Amino acid sequence: MDSFLDSLPALVDDIKAIKDIIITNIVLIGQTPAPTFKEKRRGIVFMERMAEFGVDEVTTDGYRNPIGIIRGTSSEKPPIFVVAHLDTFFEKDIVHNYTIKENTITGPGILDNSLGVGVLLSLPIIFQKLDLAFESDIVLAGTIQSIGKGNLRGVRHLLKTWPTPIRGGICIEGVELGRLNYFSDGMIRGEVACSISEEKGIMHKYTPNAILILNEVINGLMKLSLPQRPRSKVVIGKISGGANHGKIAYDATLGFEIRSDSYKMVKSIYNDIRDIVDGIAHENEVGLTIKTISNLRAARLKFNHPLVKSSAAVLETLGIKPISKSTESAQSIFLSRRIPAVTLGITYGENYYTSKATMEIEPMFKGIAQILGVLKAIDSGVCDEP
Amino acid sequence: MSHKWLDNNTFHYSDFKDLFGLVEEKQKKDLKISLCLPTLNEEKTIAKEIIVMKSELMTRYPLVDEIVVIDSGSTDNTVNIAKSFGADVYDANEILPHLEKFKGKGENLWKALYITKGDIIVYIDADIKNIHHRFAYGLIGPLLLYDHIKYAKAFYDRPISIGKNKIRPTGGGRVTELVIRPLFSLFFPELTQIIQPLSGEYAGYRDVLDKIPFPIGYGVETSMILDIYEKWGLDVIAQVDLDRRIHRNQDTKALGRMSFAILKTFINRQKRSGLIELKNNLYDEIIQYNLVESQYQPDALKIVGFERPPMIEIPEYCEKFNIKN
Repeated sequence: MDSFLDSLPALVDDIKAIKDIIITNIVLIGQTPAPTFKEKRRGIVFMERMAEFGVDEVTTDGYRNPIGIIRGTSSEKPPIFVVAHLDTFFEKDIVHNYTIKENTITGPGILDNSLGVGVLLSLPIIFQKLDLAFESDIVLAGTIQSIGKGNLRGVRHLLKTWPTPIRGGICIEGVELGRLNYFSDGMIRGEVACSISEEKGIMHKYTPNAILILNEVINGLMKLSLPQRPRSKVVIGKISGGANHGKIAYDATLGFEIRSDSYKMVKSIYNDIRDIVDGIAHENEVGLTIKTISNLRAARLKFNHPLVKSSAAVLETLGIKPISKSTESAQSIFLSRRIPAVTLGITYGENYYTSKATMEIEPMFKGIAQILGVLKAIDSGVCDEP
Repeated sequence: MSHKWLDNNTFHYSDFKDLFGLVEEKQKKDLKISLCLPTLNEEKTIAKEIIVMKSELMTRYPLVDEIVVIDSGSTDNTVNIAKSFGADVYDANEILPHLEKFKGKGENLWKALYITKGDIIVYIDADIKNIHHRFAYGLIGPLLLYDHIKYAKAFYDRPISIGKNKIRPTGGGRVTELVIRPLFSLFFPELTQIIQPLSGEYAGYRDVLDKIPFPIGYGVETSMILDIYEKWGLDVIAQVDLDRRIHRNQDTKALGRMSFAILKTFINRQKRSGLIELKNNLYDEIIQYNLVESQYQPDALKIVGFERPPMIEIPEYCEKFNIKN
């Protein structure tokens, strides 16, 4: 492994030599819209490209996650998974055409996560060009239904139903280069919805306003006492409602996220919020509901886990400073199933969630080299200790 | 009227997706293929076209031998971007520089015949937003696999870009339906089987393309079809469904100017062949009106409709390609 680590910086130029193919993969995947729950077309492109690149097996699992498998040299070793989520935030009728300039690519969904999927698709040809072989089978999976209400269903199903043990996993995200995620907070994303029927509005002496009702909910959230340990927080991330400036709002929704080191604490805070919502609904006689959109249990590798240490070494060898934060990606599903896994970012970018999301091309080649380094580390056994 | 041609000479790009097979056929026939992208201020799309074509049809499958950009004097970053992604870039004015200089797509396509080396030349507009290598291999396919076919033309479902980042699923093709199709119906009903005669993507054998004149502007697509039809008949032409092409939507006035050039090309050709007789020469200006401060003001634009002669009549070309007339 050490000799491979030493050769890693030189591989960056070898990867760059096939940049046309890598960029083409990013563009062809990115220009195929894939809003959550509607990833079928992108899945087909994924499998067609995998087949063209001569991957040993191209298939889908029972949940229609598209998968390519590159057979390893040893039948004894469990497979290594590399995953990137297929779905993006953008609906089908948004123009998904990318603009390439000298050092950037711009377009909706590129950073989350068309770039990741494009790089995943390029791995077979990169392995071929760099003459890289692995003992383990390498399973390349584009997982569906990850974002928002998708609640990581694709990767949950993939790992739950995979028939053999899994050696380790790498989750690819578009940005930022340097991220080395190895732990996930417990998390619940929820939505509070207020709906006032117009008829009921007329019957009220003072017609309730859905936005003001949600304001009361927010005031209630602000009064919550959150513990220092386990570290916990509530983020109010989305609000929408009303029809126009001069009309009382009959509908409004509030999106929030609870995070904590402890999933027990997440659930406790969620119950507190439910009590607040029930109380306000009762006092104001309005339709006020709370529901869970997605949830994750807290899971982590230790900082001194061989995979974390090796991954950090790979990044440092390439001159990338590792940055560790919690992530709510597919990695948490790996970890919750006791499969060691890390999440890596490919390059730098800006305007993440807009249609003008832009990635930098040049740093991407180091980002890809780090994936090769971590793959080699897993293949050399850093995840094999119990 | 028989629709035999429509049935026999219409293909779908997926008929040619065996790229390995196409490369084999190309090598067996010992052919070279050039891809030409005519440009004028296409910095937003040119890099993507070059990268996708280079990756898929040069690096992965050696189907295309060269990508040549012929630029009409872009004032944006088109030229630098095209060079940086590995295309051979030429300023149209510097090709055959002793000839009178003109600006237009047809001019670039004509000069590409002199610059490129291929036996087959594929012309693809540089403003395609959803570029895919099918735009090239779909057109090359029938030329390689069917010996009688010498010219292949694209047709598509044509969504158009509207407003901010939105597309309308169907539309476009207004000039085709309002100008070309009525003209073809009146004069050459057989040609109405060509679904999109104005599509900007086509490919042909050099020894066909160098024997026809090229209008320097919008009329080039119409004239190519008319001239190839007249010289070799409809059977040498194929049309290929390339699925979807997203392009810029043009306003009605721009389409009016395009229609003017096409009508002029068409009428001049029919006059030359004796099919119609005109008592006067056609005028050179399209006059459109704008409402400015409650008054209609004319806006006249001169469209001369100059044509380049068949390239084979240019001595430098014959010398370069060792052609003896």
